[in-house]
Amino acid sequence: MEDLGFILATYIVTFGSVAAFAFAIVRRGRRLAAQLPAKDKPWT
Amino acid sequence: MATPDIETPATAAGTRAGTGTVFTRFIGLATIVGMVALGVFGLLLSPADVQQSDSVRILYIHVGTVWVAYVAFAFTALASAAYLWKRTTSLAWDRFAGASAEIGVLFMALTLLAGSLWGRLSWGKFWVWDARVTSTAFMFVTYVGYLAVRGLGGSHHQRARRSAVVALLAVLEIPLVHFSVKLWRGLHQDSSVADRTNVNLHGLMLFSLFISVIAFTLLYVWLMMHRQRVLAMQDAIDNTGLDYALQQRRDEGDL
Amino acid sequence: MFRVARLIAAKDLRVEMRSRVVTNQVLPFAAIVMVMFAFALNSDAVVSRVAPGLVWLATLFSLLILVQRSFAIENADGATDALRAAGVDPSGIFLGKAMALAVQLAVLELVLLVSAVVLYSTELRVGGLVLLLVTFVAATVGLALVGTLYGGLAGGVRGRETLLPLLLLPVVAPVLIGATRATESALGTGGATVADGWPWVGLLAVFVALFSVGGTLAFGPLIEE
Repeated sequence: MEDLGFILATYIVTFGSVAAFAFAIVRRGRRLAAQLPAKDKPWT
Repeated sequence: MATPDIETPATAAGTRAGTGTVFTRFIGLATIVGMVALGVFGLLLSPADVQQSDSVRILYIHVGTVWVAYVAFAFTALASAAYLWKRTTSLAWDRFAGASAEIGVLFMALTLLAGSLWGRLSWGKFWVWDARVTSTAFMFVTYVGYLAVRGLGGSHHQRARRSAVVALLAVLEIPLVHFSVKLWRGLHQDSSVADRTNVNLHGLMLFSLFISVIAFTLLYVWLMMHRQRVLAMQDAIDNTGLDYALQQRRDEGDL
Repeated sequence: MFRVARLIAAKDLRVEMRSRVVTNQVLPFAAIVMVMFAFALNSDAVVSRVAPGLVWLATLFSLLILVQRSFAIENADGATDALRAAGVDPSGIFLGKAMALAVQLAVLELVLLVSAVVLYSTELRVGGLVLLLVTFVAATVGLALVGTLYGGLAGGVRGRETLLPLLLLPVVAPVLIGATRATESALGTGGATVADGWPWVGLLAVFVALFSVGGTLAFGPLIEE
């Protein structure tokens, strides 16, 4: 495959940063949820 | 001393603490399947393009991310308008706008990155002063500014009103920038990206693009649900968290 | 609304007449920027080719300082809060501050244009004077409007000094493009003809029209807290 470096860089950076962002949100969500009563979490 | 109607952290944790629900887990799973499929089809199964050879594989990412970024910014504008429509409108609109803009900024950054890598392979340049490319970059900077405005502080409604106005001004700004860059380039030289992006799409390539858009849309939905809930909890902690923290300290004192 | 605007504008200009902050600090800054451009570009030919762009770039940098100054005098004694408490029409405040800013900008641009003539051997031509004048008026009004709008947003908030350029510069990009091209046409830089310049004035006019309406509507919600 030509230009493998550029192509792989695109895929890795995209999936990597999306995963990092998703992980950060979920972790922050867990931490905040522990501090709040259920009435502030209507989705539970 | 503990009041019975306030749940303790222990029971809250018992109901699987966090921002996930059955629905988000389903969407999340579908997103992961979609992303794996995108990787398989985009990198392995789809053929190289006749003109662009393998660099076309970058577009399978690029198209999905730019789609999500545009959708996200459009929703930010709509939600901001919804917040401003009547003063009584709920902060939920504001949080929707904020969550959407944040995701949009992330995906716009990825779009610009993938786009410039693709441009280097296709045009030999990381950057071309095309109207679409340039106004996309301006959009990115504008929404970075929008997020900064959200972080200025003040009450929740202050934040909401301020940022909603900025979001609507961005709707005024972006087409104007696009138009003026187009005029600027038009009088300078005739090169247009459109002429050189003439990709002959067929079969598996079109299917890969299709997967890309589906997978990234699912990802957007998943991220939006979680991000909004986190924002809602942050607002709730700003409002009542102090009381609750005090309550906890008092409970500890009782032990 | 326009009576309020006139009063506010007169007040801002009176503050400047007595404090001389813009005259003694911003104008010299703009002049030194013009000298710095010549150092950076290091070629007489290049400098005279890009002189119109440099004039407008220096204007934008100075605009950032002018806007900060314009709202610093409002926030110093909580003056904006007092105006709001007195029930003054926010649209009037917006237009008034924009008018005062436009006057200061016009003086600044005149200084920059003269310094371009002196430093970059820019030559004015008679046939382009009308275009030049119209361009300067339209660009000045446009810059004053958006400057006031985003200045009001960032005013009175911590961190505004760093936030203002980020918000303001992308928005005024069309003015930089339009005003630079129109000025090139008016001066004949790079062989541009006067007729080439009028479409750019049209762009500036669209900008002014959009942001005078948008700004008048948006300024109230922005400053009311």
